[in-house]
Amino acid sequence: MAGGGSLGGGGRSKRGKSSKRKAKKRVGFVLDMTPLVDITFLLLTFFMFTTTMATPQVMEMKVPPERDVPVEVKESQLLSILVDDEGDLFYFKAQEDAEPLEMKDVRNLAIKENLNQINELIIVLKVSENVDYGTVVQVLDELNLAEAGIVDEMRVNRNNPNFERSRKFTIADFTDEDREKIAEFNPQKGGGE
Amino acid sequence: MAKVKKKRVGFVIDMTPLVDITFLLLTFFMFTAKFKSEAEAEQKFFIERPLASADTSKLPEQDLAIVKIAFPDSTKQDTSYYYEMTNEADWVAVKSGIEGLTPEQMQEAQLQVSLETLEALIKQTYRVNKETSMAIDADKSIRFKWISDAMDVLSDNRFTKFNYVTKKR
Repeated sequence: MAGGGSLGGGGRSKRGKSSKRKAKKRVGFVLDMTPLVDITFLLLTFFMFTTTMATPQVMEMKVPPERDVPVEVKESQLLSILVDDEGDLFYFKAQEDAEPLEMKDVRNLAIKENLNQINELIIVLKVSENVDYGTVVQVLDELNLAEAGIVDEMRVNRNNPNFERSRKFTIADFTDEDREKIAEFNPQKGGGE
Repeated sequence: MAKVKKKRVGFVIDMTPLVDITFLLLTFFMFTAKFKSEAEAEQKFFIERPLASADTSKLPEQDLAIVKIAFPDSTKQDTSYYYEMTNEADWVAVKSGIEGLTPEQMQEAQLQVSLETLEALIKQTYRVNKETSMAIDADKSIRFKWISDAMDVLSDNRFTKFNYVTKKR
């Protein structure tokens, strides 16, 4: 700082006194910035490579606090989605027969059935213990996406801007009964022949 | 009257804008950089998180307890529970409330536990700080039984709200 200031001042006074000598025009003084840039780039690359921009996101999950207390619900309000050992999906309403279901249709099914019984329908996800966790998250994700569809449909298309969604959802165990229900779709396992 | 050729010593590029922008980026990265926690540094396995659609909710950083369920090695034969907490003081308090931990385990930031020990740890966590938020961080190819067992343990111990750690699709 001080060096730069005095040099600049000196140059100006020199020009004023000796007009004969062609004064070198001083644009500014130049500092060699290369080492600075070197070290800065080094640090920059270090931080760029070590930092992880993608912080993991989360999917919130709530389970009822009372696990062993039975809650009475109407059977007609139930929509069960089954995930079997292979990750294949099936669904049935109330006690009806099971139907196979594709992963891509989960969202539409959830939207359609929810709109039939607004805020009444309970989706029961019955997951086999042997299925991959990834598949379960995928189904949950589709159901989460369906929520947006339901609210959207109610507020926009059905002119109900104050619609409040109360979601009813639970994860249940995959019982032998459920296994029997889908046995016909898995002849190689269900038939046992 | 030939012009005197000015001797060219070297030519100089003005590096100021470059330095400006580099420093700007450097400060940005320095402030946003998040370093691995001690537990993550100890971790020997890698968790392939399940994919989910983009969500704005992020993993909380304060008072978080994570149940990790992962394969300890690449053979994917064995599965194990791991438990860690971000709050250092709580973590020490929780561990000191558990019986049967070796002195080495007392030092570890991440514990490899059985389901029974996990339950004891979670119980103790509730006693120490019931505001702790719970997260389940599991590998996507793990059988759901492991997750469902952990979920049962959590809900039995009054942690009825928890998070699945996912990766953006």
